[in-house]
Amino acid sequence: MVTDVRTTDLAMVKPRGTARTRGERVFGAVNATLLVLLCVGMLYPFITVLAQSFSSSGAIKAGQVNFLPVGFNLDTYAAVMSNDMFWRNYGNTVLYTVVGTAIAMTLTTTYAFVLSKPHLKGRKVLIGIAVFTMFFNGGLVPNYVLISALEMKNTMWAIVLPGAISVFNLLVMKAFFENLPKELEEAAQIDGLGWYGIFGRIVLPLSKAVIATMVLFYSVAFWNDWFAAFLYLDKSELFPITLFLRNLIAGASTTASEGAAAAGSTTAQVSANIQAVTMILTVIPILTIYPFVQRYFVSGVMLGSVKG
Amino acid sequence: MSSVFGRTPSGATRRRVIGFSLAAGGAAALAACSDDGGTEIDVEAQSKGAMENFAADMQFTATEPFTLSVLWTDWPDLPITDQWQFFKEVEKRTNVKMEVTNIPFSDATEKRSLLISAGDAPTVIPLVYTGDESSFVSSGAILPMSDYVEHMPNFQKYVEEWDLGDMVNNLKQADGKYYMLPGLQEVSVPVFTVVIRKDVFEEVGAGVPQTWDEMRAALVKIKEKYPDSKPLADGFEGASMLNYASHAWGARAGWGFGNGMVDDGSGKLEYTAVTEGYKQMVEFFRGLVEDGLLDTDSMTAANDGSGGGSVTEKVAGNLVFAASGSPGTAIEFQQALNETVGEGNHEVVVIPPPGGPAGQIVEPRNFWNGFMLNAEIADSENFVAILQFLDWLYYNQEARELIRWGVLDETYTKDASGKITLKPEFSLNAYNINPGAPTDIQRDLGWSNAVFADSSESRALKESYNSPTFVEYVEAVLSSRTPRDPNPPAPLDEAELESSSLMATPLKDTVDTNTLKFILGERDIAEWDDYVGELEAQGLQQYVDLINTARERFEEENS
Repeated sequence: MVTDVRTTDLAMVKPRGTARTRGERVFGAVNATLLVLLCVGMLYPFITVLAQSFSSSGAIKAGQVNFLPVGFNLDTYAAVMSNDMFWRNYGNTVLYTVVGTAIAMTLTTTYAFVLSKPHLKGRKVLIGIAVFTMFFNGGLVPNYVLISALEMKNTMWAIVLPGAISVFNLLVMKAFFENLPKELEEAAQIDGLGWYGIFGRIVLPLSKAVIATMVLFYSVAFWNDWFAAFLYLDKSELFPITLFLRNLIAGASTTASEGAAAAGSTTAQVSANIQAVTMILTVIPILTIYPFVQRYFVSGVMLGSVKG
Repeated sequence: MSSVFGRTPSGATRRRVIGFSLAAGGAAALAACSDDGGTEIDVEAQSKGAMENFAADMQFTATEPFTLSVLWTDWPDLPITDQWQFFKEVEKRTNVKMEVTNIPFSDATEKRSLLISAGDAPTVIPLVYTGDESSFVSSGAILPMSDYVEHMPNFQKYVEEWDLGDMVNNLKQADGKYYMLPGLQEVSVPVFTVVIRKDVFEEVGAGVPQTWDEMRAALVKIKEKYPDSKPLADGFEGASMLNYASHAWGARAGWGFGNGMVDDGSGKLEYTAVTEGYKQMVEFFRGLVEDGLLDTDSMTAANDGSGGGSVTEKVAGNLVFAASGSPGTAIEFQQALNETVGEGNHEVVVIPPPGGPAGQIVEPRNFWNGFMLNAEIADSENFVAILQFLDWLYYNQEARELIRWGVLDETYTKDASGKITLKPEFSLNAYNINPGAPTDIQRDLGWSNAVFADSSESRALKESYNSPTFVEYVEAVLSSRTPRDPNPPAPLDEAELESSSLMATPLKDTVDTNTLKFILGERDIAEWDDYVGELEAQGLQQYVDLINTARERFEEENS
C-alpha cells in the first residue's frame, strides 16, 4: 500500500508533458523493474494456488504445477462446494464479519467523535483507557476465563465483541474528526442540531473516506481472524471458514513428536488441490471488495496523517 | 492487518506465543488449585449406573443412562456429524451418550492445554500420547488413573496378557502414580521406518537391507546407477531417521531423544549423546553425507509435517529412493510415482528399521494414544460407571472391533477363522478397502474414527484392515527384530522436574545442533571431545546425577 501511495504522489508532483531528464528516466526504469519484480513475487504464490485448485492432486504432489493447471478439472470445486460444513462455516464468517464490523464501526466512530472534542472533561482519561489496552492485556488464560464467565463461549459475541474497538483505528479516526472544520459544527449548532444530529448528519457524511477505510480494516480483520474462534468456540458448526481452512492446511504442521507426525500423516490425505480450492474460495470476497474500496483506502489513511 | 486486534505483535509467531502464554498462564492459574490428593472413592455413592459384576470381555451396559463429555479432535478430512452411527450404536449398547467438544486438529494440543488450564476440559481427554500428560500432573487437573484401574478389568487383563507391566511402570510420575492410560498394542511395530523403492533396490542387485551397513552398500549401488540422486532422505528434519536408527547403535536421538538417558548396561542411566554408540551413529551418517548418499536438504528444510512435501517430489523425480515415513507416507509416494514413473513401474514398501552394532533392535511400540480424565470427575456419582465404560471402550476386544469395523453382520462379516470382510456396499477408503462402494464406514458412519480407533489393537485387528504389504512388514519386524528393553524408570518430583527441564533444554539444544553439524560436516568429528566438554560445561554431570538419584529413589520405593 505504502508503495502505491508514494508512486501516485510522485506522479502528481511532476506535471504532465514536462521533458524528463536522463536521471529521471533511469530512475523510472529501475523503479518500474523493481515494482514489477515485487508484484510478480507477490502474485506468484497466489497464481500457483489458483493453478493448483484446477489441477489433479497427483500432479501437485509430483511438483508439476507452477503457473498453469496440470490435469485441468473442476471436480475439486464441486467436491468442496458440496461440503455442508464448508458452507455453514462460510455463512458464519459472513455473519461474524457483518455483525462484527457493524458493532465495531458504531463503537469506534462514536468513541472517536467524543475523543475528538477538546472541551470534553476527562478526555485524557478516556484516551488513556483505550491506549492502555494497546500495550497491556490480561493474557490468554485470563481472557478465556473472562469470556467463559460472561457466558459468551460458543456464541457469536465471543468473536465480535472483544475485538470491537481497535485502538489504532480509533486514533486514526479521532485525528480525522479533529481535522474537520469546527465552523461546520458551530453552524449546525446555530441551525439547531444537537450532538447526535451533528454526528449523524454532518460529521459522518463528511467522513466517507475514513469510514470506508475502517470498514475495510475491520471487515478484513474479522474475515481473517481464526484465533478468537479457535479459543472460544467448541462446536464445529459455529466455526468461521478461516478455522475450517486452517484445520485443512495447517493440520500437519506439528512434527515435534512422533505421535503428532503419525496423526499428521493422516491429514496429509487432504490433498493439495482441496486445500487450494478452499483457499481460493475463502479469499474471493475480500479480493472482490478490495478494488472498490481502494480509492477511499488511500485517501482515508492519508487524511489526518499530515496534521499530527 | 491482523494486528488490528492487537493480541500479538506478529501473526507468524502466534503459535509460539500461545505455547508460552499457556505454559505460563496455566502454571500460574493452577498453582492455586492443586488437589489435596484425596483419592478415596465412595464406591456406594459413586456407582450410579455401574455394573455390579463387570469383568473383562464382558459387554458394558450402564444400568442407568448418563451423558459423558468427550474432547473430540476434528480431522479436516473427516468432519464429525451427530448423525454418525458410531455415537448411536455405542449409546444403544452402553446407555452412555457422548457429548463432544470439538477442537480443530490443527491446534488441538494448544486448545487442549487451554481447556485443561482454564478448568474447562470435558471429562474424557482422548488422543493422549505417553508423555503428554506430565505437564498437567502437578496442577492436579487430571486424575491419577493408577488409583482406579482396579475398576478396569479389561485394561488389567491385556496389560498382563500382552506383558506390558514394565512399560506401564514407566508411565509413573514421581508420586508413583500414572495419570494417563495408553492404548495397548499387542504387537510392537515401529510406525515410522524406512520406506524404500524395492524395485530399484532389486534392480541394482541390493535387495532389502537388513542392517545399516547393507543399507549403505545398497545406496552406493543406487548412486552409481543414478548419479544425480541422493538416494536417502528424511522429511522430518532428521528427527525421524535418527529416532529409528539410534536403536541400532544403542542410543536415543531425534523424536525418541526424550530425557536423553539410556541404560548403561549396569542398570544405571547415562546420557546418550556422549556415548560411543551415539558417536558411531553420527559418524555413520556423516559418511553417508560425505559420499552424497543422504539428501541434506531434507534434513534441514522445514517440513510440512506430512514428511511428504519436497521429499515426495524427489521420490517422484527419481532423486530419492529411500526415505523415512509411515505406511501412510508409502501410499503418498506411490501416488506421486504413479504420475511420473507410471502405475505398475514401481514398488514402494516399508521395511523394518535396519539393525546395527547393538543388534537387530527396534524401539518398543506397545503404547499408542490413550486418554486422561478431568480430575473433577472423581466426585461424580457416575464415576465407577464411567471407568467401566472407558475400560470397555478402550480395551474390550469386541468394542475395539466395533469401533474399527462397525456392527457385525451389518457393515462387516466374520468367518469361522476370524477373518473380517467388509460388506460390498460399504467402503473404508482410508485403507483402500472396497473403494467405490456407496457408504464409507469412516466418513459416513463414524467407524474407524481417528479419535478412538487406533488406540488399542490386537494383532489380528491391526492386520484385518491394513494392506498385505503392511502385514508382511509386521511379520518381518516380529520375526527379525527385538524390541528394546525399556529404560529403568526415573520419575521426577515437582522440584526436580523444574530443575531438570532447566538443565535438559540447553543440553538438548547443544546435542541437536551439534549432531546436525557433525552429520552435515560443518563440524569435524575430531572435535568430538570438545563437544563433550561443552556439554559438561553446561552441567551434564549434575543432570545425570539428578536423574540417577530419582531412579534410585524409585527403585527403593517400589522394590
